[in-house]
Amino acid sequence: MDPVSENKRHIAYPICLPKVNENGCYEMRLESIGGLGANLCGKLLGELGAAYLGLNSASFSSYGSEKRGSPVKSYVRWSEPEQEILHNSPVERPHLLSIFHQALSKTLPVTAGVGEDCVLVVNTAAYPEEIREELCLYAGTICCVNALELALQSKSRVNMVMLGAIAKASGFIPLEAVKSLVEDTLGKKYPALLENNLAGLEQGYNCVQSRTFQPDGRYEQVPYREIRSKWGYKNAPLGGANPHIGSTVSNDLSPSREGYIPLFLPEKCIHCGLCDTTCPDMVFQFLPGEYRGKPSMLNRGLDYHHCKGCLRCVDVCPTEALVAGKEFEHPDKQWFVRNKDLIVQDIDFEPAGADPWITGESYLDEKRVDGGLM
Amino acid sequence: MKQPEQKLLFESGNELAAYAAKQINYHVMGYYPITPSTQIAEFLDQMGADGEHNIALIPAEGEHSAAGICYGAASGGGRVFNATSANGLLYALEQLPVQSGTRLPMVLNVACRTVSGPLSIKGDHSDLMYTLNTGWVILFADSPQEVYDCNICAVKIAEKLRLPAIVAFDGFFTSHQKRNCYVFADDEIVQKFIGPGMENVGVLDPEHPVTIGSYMNEPDLLNNKYQLHLAMEKARTMIPEVFSEYEQLSGRTLSAVKAYQTEDAEVLMFVLGSAYLTAKAAVDKLRKDGKKVGVFTLGVLRPFPTEEVSKICKNARIILVADRQDSYGAGGGNMSLEIRAALQQSGLTTRVLSRVYGLGGRDFYEKDAISLFETCYEQDVPAFDYIAVDPGEADFVPKPYFAPISEETASGLTVCSEENGKVVVKGGTVRDTTARPKRLAPGHGACPGCGIPVNVNLLLRGIEGNVVLLFQTGCGMVVTTGYPKTAFRVPYVHNLFQNGAATLAGVAKMYHQRQERGELPPGDITFIMVSGDGGMDIGMGSALGTALRGDPVILFEYDNGGYMNTGYQLSYSTPMGAKSATSHLGSHRWGKEFFHKDMPRIMAATGMPYVATAAESDPADFIRKAAKAQYYAKNHGTAYIKCLSACPLNWGDKPNTERKVISAAVNSCYFPLYEVEQGCTTISYNPEQKDKKIPVEDWLKMMGRTKHLCGEKYKDVREMIQQEVDRRWQRLKAQSEHHLL
Repeated sequence: MDPVSENKRHIAYPICLPKVNENGCYEMRLESIGGLGANLCGKLLGELGAAYLGLNSASFSSYGSEKRGSPVKSYVRWSEPEQEILHNSPVERPHLLSIFHQALSKTLPVTAGVGEDCVLVVNTAAYPEEIREELCLYAGTICCVNALELALQSKSRVNMVMLGAIAKASGFIPLEAVKSLVEDTLGKKYPALLENNLAGLEQGYNCVQSRTFQPDGRYEQVPYREIRSKWGYKNAPLGGANPHIGSTVSNDLSPSREGYIPLFLPEKCIHCGLCDTTCPDMVFQFLPGEYRGKPSMLNRGLDYHHCKGCLRCVDVCPTEALVAGKEFEHPDKQWFVRNKDLIVQDIDFEPAGADPWITGESYLDEKRVDGGLM
Repeated sequence: MKQPEQKLLFESGNELAAYAAKQINYHVMGYYPITPSTQIAEFLDQMGADGEHNIALIPAEGEHSAAGICYGAASGGGRVFNATSANGLLYALEQLPVQSGTRLPMVLNVACRTVSGPLSIKGDHSDLMYTLNTGWVILFADSPQEVYDCNICAVKIAEKLRLPAIVAFDGFFTSHQKRNCYVFADDEIVQKFIGPGMENVGVLDPEHPVTIGSYMNEPDLLNNKYQLHLAMEKARTMIPEVFSEYEQLSGRTLSAVKAYQTEDAEVLMFVLGSAYLTAKAAVDKLRKDGKKVGVFTLGVLRPFPTEEVSKICKNARIILVADRQDSYGAGGGNMSLEIRAALQQSGLTTRVLSRVYGLGGRDFYEKDAISLFETCYEQDVPAFDYIAVDPGEADFVPKPYFAPISEETASGLTVCSEENGKVVVKGGTVRDTTARPKRLAPGHGACPGCGIPVNVNLLLRGIEGNVVLLFQTGCGMVVTTGYPKTAFRVPYVHNLFQNGAATLAGVAKMYHQRQERGELPPGDITFIMVSGDGGMDIGMGSALGTALRGDPVILFEYDNGGYMNTGYQLSYSTPMGAKSATSHLGSHRWGKEFFHKDMPRIMAATGMPYVATAAESDPADFIRKAAKAQYYAKNHGTAYIKCLSACPLNWGDKPNTERKVISAAVNSCYFPLYEVEQGCTTISYNPEQKDKKIPVEDWLKMMGRTKHLCGEKYKDVREMIQQEVDRRWQRLKAQSEHHLL
C-alpha cells in the first residue's frame, strides 16, 4: 500500500456522496457579507471533506479585499477520492446554498443556478414559506435557522451555528464529524471558546426548519450569469480613465452598518463642525445660514445613504446633538438631508453590502476566530 | 523501496510553499509583501514565531531590496528563498539576471498576477513572462500539491545547476485555493532529498577570497553567457532526473510536459496553470461526443521542452494555444510564440491558433474551454484573438452626479502671509471650512471608521483653489477608484507605491511647461500626493528625490502603521512590539522587532522648506498646517505633512474610539505635533505644558495589536519603546529651542 492510501485508512467518518453533478462533484456555495465568518465556514467544510469524510475537497472564496460589510462568496467542492476535482471556477449550480444574511436576498442574485434539488440554508428568524417569497425561489428545499439568535444564546458565532445547520440540511454530514473537526481546529487555537462553539454547532444542527418547494410556475429559475459592465472595449474611455467624477455617490452603504446610526438633535447643535472633521463618509450637510445673529455654516442634517454607522461623530460631538440609536427604531430617519452638491434628482443607488444586524463586537470576534490578528 | 510516511493536509498553494520552505529550512528569506504571494511570508513568520524553523525572515522596504537581500545572502553560499508577484516581480526584475549571471542559486516563488496598470490584484501570467529571458529555471505548478512538490525539487535543481529557480503558480486560483495534499511527515525526509547544500561559502570564506561580480566586457561576457546557456542545456537532463528521484520518494509524477488524451487527438489545446485542469474536464465532455481532442501543459518553462512539445503535437491537425497574457503586437502570448517556434524547429507545419483569455483573473469556465476547442472546428477563424471580451452597452452614457469644483467655490477660506521667515494663516476655522467643497465624494468603500478619508478631507479643508491629487497604491486608492466608479471630483492620478512623488513632480512640471508655452491658461493648481500603508518605505527614495529637487508639490502621508491594503504586514512605521501578519507573537518572537521610523525627521534632513505632523485630534491645527503646506509648495519648494491615521480593522479597536486613540498617541508623545519651517522646529502642541502627557503604555493598551505589550511578559519591550519615545521627544524639544538644530 502506498503511503497516501495508507493514510486514508485513518479517516474517521468515511462517507459516500449521495449525489454529485456531471463532474462527479457535490458543490456548495456560501453567500455572506464580510465579518460573518462564511470564509472560515467554507474552509472548515473543505477540511471536513478532506480529513474527516475521506473525500477529495476544494475550497476557495471570492477574492478581493475582504472588508467588513462587503459581500463574500465561499465555494466548496467535494468528490469521491478517485475523482479529481478539475474545476477552479465559481460554483454555478450548487447542491447546497447557504445564505448567511437574509438581507442578501435583496441585493444580489444569490439564488443564481439553484435547481429543484438544491438545499438552501438561510440564517433567518422567518419561516421557509416567507423566505421562498423573499427570494422569489423557483424551487428547492429551504432550511431556516435563526443563527444570530442561537449564536447569542450559545455565546458562539453565526458561522458555527450555520455549520451545524449545513450539516443537518445536507442530510449526510455526520454531526460527530463536524464536532471532531471543530475540536481539532478551533479547539486547539481557542480552547476557551470550544464549549460555546460546540454548543452553537449543535444548536444549529438541531434547530433547522425545512420545507421543500416543487416548481409550481410561480417563479422562474435564475440562471448563473457572470457580471457584465456597461463600459466595454467599444465605449470605455481609453486607458481606464474615468470621467464620471464622484460616481461612488451612487453606492448605498447602509448595508455596512451594524445596527446603529447617529441620531441628530438639531436643537442641541452648536454647528461647531467637529462631526464633519471626524466623519470618514462625508455624511454631514453644512450649508450657509445664520447662527446667533451672525452668518455661519449650519449643520442641516445627514445623508444616511453613505453612513456606515461607525459612530465617530457621536464620540466627538461636544453637546450630545449626535447620539447613537438603534436603526430599526428609527426607520424614518428624520434628519435625512440629501448630499448638497448633487446635481441630479434621481440616483439608482447600488447597495454595497447587506442590512444592519450585527454588532461591532461580533465582528471582532469573528476576526479573532478567523485566524486573524487580534 | 519503502516510501516515507506522508500526511494529509488541506492547504492552499501559498501554505504549501511555506510548508516546503519550512521543511527545507532555508537560511534566509528576503521579502516584501505583495498580493497574492504575501501569505507565504506570513505563514513562515507564524511558524518562525512558534519555533518551527530557523529561517531568517527579512522584511525589506521594497521588492528591489528584497531581491538584493537574497542576492547578498546567496553570495554567502547558503539557501535562499523569496516570493513575489506582479509589479513586485518587475520591480525586482533587474536583479534576476544578476543572480543567474553570477550563478548563485536560490528559489523564488511567483504567485502570478496581472501587471499594473490599471492596477488589478487578480491572477494572470503577465508578470511571469517577463522572466523568460532572465536565465532562471522556471517550474510551473498547476495545483497546490505541485507547489509543494516543485518547491522541494527546485532547490535541488537550482543547486545542481548553480542557477536560480522560479516556482510559478496561478495567483488566487492556486495560491489561495485549498485542496487535499500530502506532505512528508518528517522534515528529515526533505532534508535528505535535497542534500546538504553547496560546500561553497562564496564571499564568507576569508581563507579563499573570491571576487563575485566582475566588470566584464568582450570577449568574456559572451563566454559567461554561453556557460549559462550550457547550464540550461544540462537542465534538460538534470530536471527529469530530479523529478524521477522525487517520484520514487513521493509517488507523485512531475514532468516538463503534461498531456491528457493527446495521443490520438486531432485537435490540441495548450493552456498553462490551473486552467489545464478545467480543460481536462472539457476534453472528457467532447470525447463523449466523439471529438478527438486533447490538452497539454508545461511543468517547466525554462528550459523550454521543445522536443517533448513537438512530440505531443506531431499528429495534431490544429493546435490552439490559450495564453493568460499577451505579447502585444506579436500575435499571441509568449507561450503561443514559443510553441510555434518549437513546432517550426521540428519541421511541423501544424496550424496554430492563439487566444488570450482570463486576464485580470477572469474565471476560466469549462464552457470557455469547450468553446475554444470548437473554434478549432470552425472555418475561417482568425489566427489570433481574445475570448470573452465585451463591447459594452453601446448607448451607455453615465449621468453626471456632480459639477466640477470651480476655483472660486473652493477659495476664500484661508489666507497665508509670511512674517519673519514664518507663515501665518488667517481664517480656516473648523466651522468656516465646512464650506469648502469636498474634493472626495462619499460612497467610497473604506471600512467604517477608517482614518484615511478623515485625514485626506482635513488636509483638503486647508487647501484653496484647484487641486490635482495623486494617490500611491494603498487602501486610500483601492477604496476610492474601484472601476467603473471613482470617488474623486477633482483630477486624480494613481501610480505605484515606489513612484508617487516623482510622478507628481512630472505632473507639476508639465503644468508649468504648458503654461509657459501658452498652451494652458494662467492660474494655479496645487499638486498633492497622498501616500500611506507603508508607501513611505518603498516610495521613500522617490519622495526624498522630489524634496531634494524642491518640486512644487505637497507630499501627504497618512501613516496607518502597516501595509494595511495587503492585510496588515509590518511597515517600518509599525510600532515596535506590535503584532502584524509578518510580526507574530510566539514562543520565539515578540512582534515587530525594530523602532518605528521617524519619517518627518528624514524628510526634514533634505532641507525642504516645510515639514509638519498633524493629527485629527487637533483639526484646527491640521487645517492650518495644510494651508501652510500649500503656501510653501507654491513659493518655496516641496512640503511634507504626516498624520497618524487610524485603522480600526487592523489596529484592533472600535471605529468610534479612533479620535481618542489618535489623541492618546499625541499625548504620549509617540506622535508629537510639530512643524519644521525653513529648518526651524516649532512644537505645535506640548502635552507637558497642558498637563496631559501620558505614558506610551496608555496608548498601546488601546489597540489590539499592541495590548499584549502592557502585561508583565513584555515589560522590557514596553520600556524600550518608552525610552525611545522619550529620547525623540527630548530631542524635539531641544530642536524647538535652538534654531540651528
